[in-house]
Amino acid sequence: MRPTRLFRTTALRLSLLYALLFSLLSAAALGFMYWSTGHYIDAQIRTGLDSEAHGLLRAYERGGPAALRGALQRRLANIAHTGRHYLYVPGDGRAPLGDLRRWPADVVPDHRVHNRWVDASLLPARDSDDADYLPVLALRLPDGGRLLIAQSMKDAEDMRDYVFATVIVTLGVTVVIALLLGVLMGRSVLRRIDAVNATAGEIMGGDLSRRLPVGRRGDEFDELALRLNAMLERIEQLLVAMREVTDNVAHDLRSPLNRLRNRLEVILLEPRSEAEYRQTMEQTIADADQLLKTFNALLDIAQAEAGVQREECAALDLTALARDMGELYEAVADEAGLSLRVVLPGDGPLTVRADRHLLAQAIGNLLENAIAHVPRGGHVSLELTRREDAVVLAVADDGPGIPAEARERVLSRFVRLDPVRNARGNGLGLSLVRAAALFHGAELRLSDNPREAHADGHSNRGPGLRVELVFKRS
Amino acid sequence: MRMLVIEDDRDAASYLAKGLSESGHTVDHAADGEQGLQMALGGGYDALVVDRMLPGRDGLSVIAMLRAGGDHTPVLILSALGEVNERVAGLRAGGDDYLTKPYAFSELLARLEALVRRGQPDQVETLLHVADLELDVLKRTVQRAGRPIRLKPREFRLLEYLMRHAGQVVTRTMLLEQVWDYHFDPQTNVIDVHISRLRTVIDRDFDTPLLHTVRGAGYCLRAPD
Repeated sequence: MRPTRLFRTTALRLSLLYALLFSLLSAAALGFMYWSTGHYIDAQIRTGLDSEAHGLLRAYERGGPAALRGALQRRLANIAHTGRHYLYVPGDGRAPLGDLRRWPADVVPDHRVHNRWVDASLLPARDSDDADYLPVLALRLPDGGRLLIAQSMKDAEDMRDYVFATVIVTLGVTVVIALLLGVLMGRSVLRRIDAVNATAGEIMGGDLSRRLPVGRRGDEFDELALRLNAMLERIEQLLVAMREVTDNVAHDLRSPLNRLRNRLEVILLEPRSEAEYRQTMEQTIADADQLLKTFNALLDIAQAEAGVQREECAALDLTALARDMGELYEAVADEAGLSLRVVLPGDGPLTVRADRHLLAQAIGNLLENAIAHVPRGGHVSLELTRREDAVVLAVADDGPGIPAEARERVLSRFVRLDPVRNARGNGLGLSLVRAAALFHGAELRLSDNPREAHADGHSNRGPGLRVELVFKRS
Repeated sequence: MRMLVIEDDRDAASYLAKGLSESGHTVDHAADGEQGLQMALGGGYDALVVDRMLPGRDGLSVIAMLRAGGDHTPVLILSALGEVNERVAGLRAGGDDYLTKPYAFSELLARLEALVRRGQPDQVETLLHVADLELDVLKRTVQRAGRPIRLKPREFRLLEYLMRHAGQVVTRTMLLEQVWDYHFDPQTNVIDVHISRLRTVIDRDFDTPLLHTVRGAGYCLRAPD
């Protein structure tokens, strides 16, 4: 993975942006912490100075200058720990007491804490590096004496430095981790996108069977991949179906067209009687009609399969449709020496949303198939049954049936199991039934027709065939 | 009858015109929608054959313009678009019938003649006669030469349709559409069987047959010459 590509990824850019925002926020938070720590230290120092002054004043009030001196002596011995500097200038003209060499010029005894410059020249030699702006509190004593307390900032500075270092290190680590995470995230997203891209490239290259890799995480990428795979599946199905149609058209329309052409060519080879011309013409028209029929059937199937929502889809009473179709085909069955029975549930209409004409065509095809294949004396029934969750429309017969292993195959276009006997069929009947079932969201089931279902149970002709269209009730 | 064919495919149009004039009609031809609309507005036609896709002005728009102007000349729409939706759109625009290419000329002729007949006022007649065959739409009775004939309801409708179009060729698809109200293409001779049953009832016991088969086209119910 080239770094320039990595930097162009949205994931990386987003993570970098977040890293930056996060770092800024952290910096602000840590800065505030640093500032408030300093503030706290200052406050502590002032309070410390105030209570120290209070303590020394109390000693003075209890025992006069002598007691104050004693208290100061004890404190001066402890200077290394407290970091404080003192200077007491008594009111009676006696020598000052304290570690500061003289009274700083700008310090006024006003009982308040001020930051004042305390020069190294004022400090004892060992503490000369305390020279700084120091918090200083100066008091005037009742006898006219003055007392000064200053706090060394060395400990406070150490504390401040420590906090500052912590803040800087924390901030640095935060930024580095944020950046690192950004790069890692960018890389992992890029890797998955790359896989998708590679597969898409192969698919565009012509290998339609390829599918996008789906991980096990079930995250949004996996979801997207699943969706896209489902889409690819559908596209492949459609393409295969289309290729099949093209192949079929080439195969099943080309030979009759060729036959037609040859017949016309032969008739033109030499002069013939008008009757001969006429007969050939009529034959040719009949052939052309058959071709048109096949062509239209193919279009019907293709349209039903494409699932174009037809405007004519409306609430349809299946009992009325079954009755109509029974009435339409009863006469044909009768001519073929078959009995056609329509079995309807006794309890009112069964309504489904359907395209009336397409469904009529499907039922017609099933009945025509049965009539074409069942030997004379047989029985065909058109049954409608109401089930708990579905409406079942079935065409059943006691004819030769279809072997279980051939049932899937007969649904394909142009498949005729018995081309000799049913030469006039175009092999599209069941394909249209399947397409119509698909269009209506109905399930198509082919099975043997159980013997006990035969009208009078007498026959011993074959397993029979039962084709069911199962309309699920929503 | 005077017919106007609005069709941009010259070959198809000239073949149509030839067929129609050989069937005894006068035919004018317009090659685009605009010209077709002008000619149709000029009036005097008994029926129009309009191709759906035309240069200049779409076929449906031609029909819509005519209908908007109060012209109710029967229109047969020709189209390569066979989907049911297209069919519905065509009829909704004001077409009276719809035929998908490729079609058989006999089918077109039969439908066109049926359309013209439908436009005429004898539609409301309730007592139909063809030779000695008589059908009373209101009483639901049929008799031939004074002898009553019993028909099932659907046979009655079939005969009624044939009698209303007496002397014209009606095709199998027309019968399935008009009598059964289904629009599909049966692979077998289902209509033939119903016709032959009807023929048995109305013709068998009489010397002159009325119901004739027209080869390659359909059927025709007509009085003997």
